[in-house]
Amino acid sequence: MLRGISHGLRKFWSDLTSGDLLILGLSIVLAVTAISSVSFLGDRLKSSIKQQASVVLGADLSFRSASELGTQYLERAEGQALKTAETVSFLSMAIANEDNFLSSIKATTPTYPLRGNLIITDFNGQAIEHTGSPKRGYLWVEPKLVEQLSLEQNNKMTIGNKSFVVAGVLKDFPDRNVGFLAFSPTIIANINDLNGMGVIQTGSRVVYRNLFSGSEKNIRAFVENVGPVPPEIRVQKIDDVGDQLGRTLDRSTRFFNLAGLFTIIIAAISSMIAARRYAERHLLNTSLMKVFGASKNFIVASQLTQLVLMVLIATSLGLFFGYLLQSILIGVLKDLLGGDLPNASIKPVGIGFLTSFCLVFGAASPYLKLLSEVEPIRILRNDFHFKLKNNIVIYSIALLTLVVFLLLLFEDVFLVLSIIAAMIILAIILYIIGSLMVYLLSFFQSPSGIGWKLGLKNIVHRRSESVLQIVVFGLSLMFLMVLAETRTDLIDSWKETLREDTPNYFFFNIQDYELPEIKAYLDGELKKTPVFTPLIRGRLLSVQSKSGELAESGEMIDRESNLTWYDALPDNNQVIEGSWWGNKKDEKTEVSVDSGIAASMDLSIGDQLNFAAGGTSFTATVSSFREVTWESFAPNFFFVLSPKLGRDLPQSYITSVQMPSDNKQINKGFVERFPTVTSVDLNAALQQIRSIIGSASLAVQYIFILALVAGILTLIASIFSSADQRKRESAILHTLGAKRSKIFQSVASEFLVLGLLSGLTAVLAATLFSGFLSTQVFDLSYSPNLLILGLGFLVGVLSISIAGTLAIRKTIYTSPVITLRNS
Amino acid sequence: MATNNRECLVKDSILEVKNITKEVNSPEGVLTIIKGINLSIASGDVASIVGPSGSGKTTLLAIMAGLDLPTNGSVQLLGSEITSLDEDKRSQIRGKDVGFVFQSFHLLPRLSALDNVMLPLEISGSENIEEKANDALARVGLEKRVQHFPNQLSGGEKQRVAIARAMVNSPKILFADEPTGNLDKSSSSAISDLLFSVNKTMDTTLIIVTHDLVLAEQCNTVYELSEGELIC
Repeated sequence: MLRGISHGLRKFWSDLTSGDLLILGLSIVLAVTAISSVSFLGDRLKSSIKQQASVVLGADLSFRSASELGTQYLERAEGQALKTAETVSFLSMAIANEDNFLSSIKATTPTYPLRGNLIITDFNGQAIEHTGSPKRGYLWVEPKLVEQLSLEQNNKMTIGNKSFVVAGVLKDFPDRNVGFLAFSPTIIANINDLNGMGVIQTGSRVVYRNLFSGSEKNIRAFVENVGPVPPEIRVQKIDDVGDQLGRTLDRSTRFFNLAGLFTIIIAAISSMIAARRYAERHLLNTSLMKVFGASKNFIVASQLTQLVLMVLIATSLGLFFGYLLQSILIGVLKDLLGGDLPNASIKPVGIGFLTSFCLVFGAASPYLKLLSEVEPIRILRNDFHFKLKNNIVIYSIALLTLVVFLLLLFEDVFLVLSIIAAMIILAIILYIIGSLMVYLLSFFQSPSGIGWKLGLKNIVHRRSESVLQIVVFGLSLMFLMVLAETRTDLIDSWKETLREDTPNYFFFNIQDYELPEIKAYLDGELKKTPVFTPLIRGRLLSVQSKSGELAESGEMIDRESNLTWYDALPDNNQVIEGSWWGNKKDEKTEVSVDSGIAASMDLSIGDQLNFAAGGTSFTATVSSFREVTWESFAPNFFFVLSPKLGRDLPQSYITSVQMPSDNKQINKGFVERFPTVTSVDLNAALQQIRSIIGSASLAVQYIFILALVAGILTLIASIFSSADQRKRESAILHTLGAKRSKIFQSVASEFLVLGLLSGLTAVLAATLFSGFLSTQVFDLSYSPNLLILGLGFLVGVLSISIAGTLAIRKTIYTSPVITLRNS
Repeated sequence: MATNNRECLVKDSILEVKNITKEVNSPEGVLTIIKGINLSIASGDVASIVGPSGSGKTTLLAIMAGLDLPTNGSVQLLGSEITSLDEDKRSQIRGKDVGFVFQSFHLLPRLSALDNVMLPLEISGSENIEEKANDALARVGLEKRVQHFPNQLSGGEKQRVAIARAMVNSPKILFADEPTGNLDKSSSSAISDLLFSVNKTMDTTLIIVTHDLVLAEQCNTVYELSEGELIC
């Protein structure tokens, strides 16, 4: 055994430089680079997402209620080593400089915020030191209010019954308001000033929050200890935080995982090919060593030593490149991530080594076994080929290793199993189509030239080899086309939100009587009339299923909801189950529900929803579920009533418009003319999202390029696996009198036809696979991207033809004596 | 030479073959390659096995060297019944006491002449392997070609490297399968001389399969195979 190890060490460099181990090594480097960069990135992203989610909450855990929470939870939390804070938020008019503006007042305790940054500056922009709340009698205000009320340092401001001094500008704070508080600028006050304000009365709309932070373990223990809370208290954990950003990040992560998965699979294919070539070229070595007395242990030890060395070197290189790549990706994704990420853990290093060991030993160990058992008599028979039945066992073992490894690596079991299943099915389809095409080729009469005839004949005579190459080429091309299509669809779907005409202003609280004038104003200024959507404040009271079961609690029930009604289905909504009211809109008392909410509430078509709105209560039958494009920045609703139900309810209107960024006068003029209408400027948010989506798109491109390189390597590995035999044949043809140009033609035509056959099968398979991925994994609609498929086909055909011809070209122009002697 | 299959036995034998038969499966059914072969080789002898193509010479050689197993019968090599041993034990015997030379040389193309000759020494765990390999190459007249690769050597030179490799562990017995089969007349003659000198200087038993009757006639004993049967 030790002698075997020593022999393996001595022979490592010559085997590496001869190319036998090199392609295997490169496959490992690529696979480890892909998986470790995704893993390093994912590891840091997960930590960051948790951090960001905490920032959104301003804590690790929040209890939120419309009524006072008391101190019981705070006291219990402090007893369990958690930090606590309180906020009380409500709307009120802020009066200053003989003017007033509706503002969102947030009264805080000094420990606020528990997560995220609270940045206060003076009116000159200089940061000032502070605790979580201003001193009693002082306020911090957002820049928008400074502008609106023409405030200066130390100006007086009145809220309710109390007068305050404006002490600072609120530059940044976490837990940005949602719901009715979201559209008004924020003022932070000291929680002890609440009573003095006298604003909160019975029936006031107030949000009370208890905030908690600490270690994950303590937070979990606290939640378990508290047990079920009353239904009026909403518990928010960082896992629950989701928004536009989260969805973009979620899709990016899924794409990274998919690209990482594809790269590993492609790398596994090239590893298999490289391992097979390595084993075939070592049959002579192994047989000879056995003749000279090497035992099975010696041979296994020698081969294993080389493989382990190669794995260690290739993995280290792959980890280095992986870390480098994720650093680049982090830089690109800075805007998406909103700041520095925590350092990566050691986990990706372990994953990198696990990847390479599984790939190499999954691909190589069956061949190692065969090599160790090879009969030395083969050397006398010059019999150095693996038989097909050996291959089936080998591929099965490799596949099993790959499946188990991928399931361990990726947490997305559905993604992994569906990809593997699809790959197996597609490989079988490719095999059948490839075999059929090769069979049909045998009837094809080449129109001219001995070169073409020889090339086509070679494909037919090397039937199993040709079909295997078609499957390998086809799978690699297919993966790349699918990744390209998915990447394009993903980026296009994001770009939908970046359209130039994306609305950048929301107007709401528009009354019926104001509609004509507002329409005229916007029409005059913007030369287009936006769509005005009715907004009805209501409350879902209960849900009654078709079987009569009544639910009076749960998500959405007994909470204020924004309702609306439509005649026609808006463009950014799609009915996926049930039917729209259509022509019977004035007869039906129905409601259409967003599919996501419907799923979370476990609704079915035909269920009865009982609402209260405008002082009345009514029942609507669920008639359809809608898929809503929430990223469209148009007003969207969970519940849409039929016209018969909605038309006569008390309602205001809401609209979104696209205002020119270089003309702020239009908005200023609107606000002056229609002071009771609330306007929300989305430009900053849109800019942020544009930047984020740009970053995410770029990151997706980087990962795609990695997969592309892996795919090209696989093609090269496959071509080189049969290069030796082709070189020998070319030399023999040459000695038999064939001209170099004819030999070149035969090689070129063989690879061209293989490329065509592979390309065609790949296009077919890619269309099927892309459709599956887009709809089932990424929740996108799918239509074949002819440009990508066409380009993929052309590039595939050209790559295979050129690479294959180049691989043999040197031999064609070398003396056949030298070639045959070397072989 | 007689034409009937008879036992060809000698005293003080280094190799004894008893009633060896080798059958293989083929599309036409069971094929008997060799049948009921009995012979023994004395230590230090130079024996040749001749016969037309397809007579079973290489198969018999492979069985005698422990590279293949017979369907029936036994082989005693250097005092061990190798047909009852597993592959690892047979490898061990080969590594220590058996050398093999092939018709196609079978030098490893990515190793130099020196590295090729060192291979058996590495396997057996010898010391001073480079020195011993250099000596072996010098003995076959290739001291100036030690760093050359097989594709840089002529056929005759390659076979000399192969012989050096086969002899570097000082085996007691050397099997050669058509050692001059791929060589021209002049190279064949040189190789034959080399093999016989190995026998003389190192007292190595030689068993050569050949269809070169000139080479066969130089051997002490000639065994003739015809249609899988031995004619002494």
